[in-house]
Amino acid sequence: MSYKIAVIGDLETVAGFNLAGVQFTHVHTNKEKTLAKLEEFLTHGEIGLILITHRAVEDIGPEFHRRVQEKGLLPLVLKIPDRTGYIPERDELQELIRRTVGVEIQMKTEGK
Amino acid sequence: MNVERIIKFELGRLNAHLPEKRITLKSALSLDKPSVRTKDGKAHYLKREELELLSKLLPEAEWDSLLLPIFISLEPKLGRGAAKIKGTFEAKVIGKILGKETSGDELIVYRPEIAIIRRKLATTTQYLFGW
Amino acid sequence: MAARVTISPNRMELMKVKNRLALAEKGYDLLKEKMDALVMELLNTLKAIQKSKAEATAQLKRGYEALSICMAALGTFETVQAAAETKKELNIDISVRNIMGIEVPTVQVGGIERNALARGYSLHMTSSLLDTAAREMELATKVLIELAELEITAFALAQELEKTKRRVNALEYILIPRLRESVKFIMMRLDEMERENFTRLKRIKAILEKRG
Repeated sequence: MSYKIAVIGDLETVAGFNLAGVQFTHVHTNKEKTLAKLEEFLTHGEIGLILITHRAVEDIGPEFHRRVQEKGLLPLVLKIPDRTGYIPERDELQELIRRTVGVEIQMKTEGK
Repeated sequence: MNVERIIKFELGRLNAHLPEKRITLKSALSLDKPSVRTKDGKAHYLKREELELLSKLLPEAEWDSLLLPIFISLEPKLGRGAAKIKGTFEAKVIGKILGKETSGDELIVYRPEIAIIRRKLATTTQYLFGW
Repeated sequence: MAARVTISPNRMELMKVKNRLALAEKGYDLLKEKMDALVMELLNTLKAIQKSKAEATAQLKRGYEALSICMAALGTFETVQAAAETKKELNIDISVRNIMGIEVPTVQVGGIERNALARGYSLHMTSSLLDTAAREMELATKVLIELAELEITAFALAQELEKTKRRVNALEYILIPRLRESVKFIMMRLDEMERENFTRLKRIKAILEKRG
């Protein structure tokens, strides 16, 4: 199946992805509007992947995770660094792996 | 006992992801979006690159005999971490990927080999739980 | 143990409990195999994530840098406007594959990179800086799509692993020991009853002999 991509982030980040040909974008300014837009993207049907900046995710807060947990397989959701390269300390995948496999797996990249 | 219901449920769904009917490499290659239907009614797509890899490992005359996805049969009685590939052409093609000599209609593979198979054939192999 | 109270020690019950134990042991062996396979799948995926994440982070950084340079040279407003005019025809193909009952995505990306003309922003804006920013962002998008597939696969595998592990532990530490206890208990009671019976018969025999 063919799908579109959506991006949520600050003005510059969104402009960058627009340049790459991404069709659906939302410039994040406040929590309520972004949450509403996220809902729209999640239920849109044509959108297969949502890229959202870590910063926007943090602004939305726990509601983001609750909503993403509820969705089915699609659309895929990936958190990305914004223009400042911001990535939070806490890495959920890392935590889940530590809990399940019981080992620390180094996933941080050298470039950071 | 509640736990017992859970085991029965778990055993029941252990193989629910297997296809109702497998598809030959030849027909998979001829389809635009090759896929099989799982027993629990879901679609499982086969990646084109993997089909192409397989087609290079077998002479064209045998494309009609290779059934996909190939089963990696995990059987506790083989010992932990060992699995069996059943079928002459399935065993042959997996043997080629691993650089292992094969003859006959089955091949025993071990965990590090399974890891290699799964990396190369993520959609054209499936785990089967046998007992 | 509460379970004992409800067990009536007879041959029938012994057979039932033994069957349950066999089922639990079979379930344990198979789920353990599944657990091992899940761990292997997860490690395979994590290895791929490591590589993909490093690539995505670096490429995205290049994209953002090219974008900053573009904004500094052409102006933020002009860059944003050119971005708004860009043709938005990026499509990805997502299909589903199944790993032991877990549905995970397989994403295929066609030609993301375009030439300057295909991008469609108006020609008076055309600048090699804009083209560079667009190209770097196209490349970044491509690796992010691959990373998304991998991360979602890893999450799904890890969640299933967590569930399977709980089941395996419940079997190993609760159900199987409890059933073994029950088998032992019933066998012991049956033995006792047999001994009691034996003594009773001996006593009856003795009484009968005395009378005789």
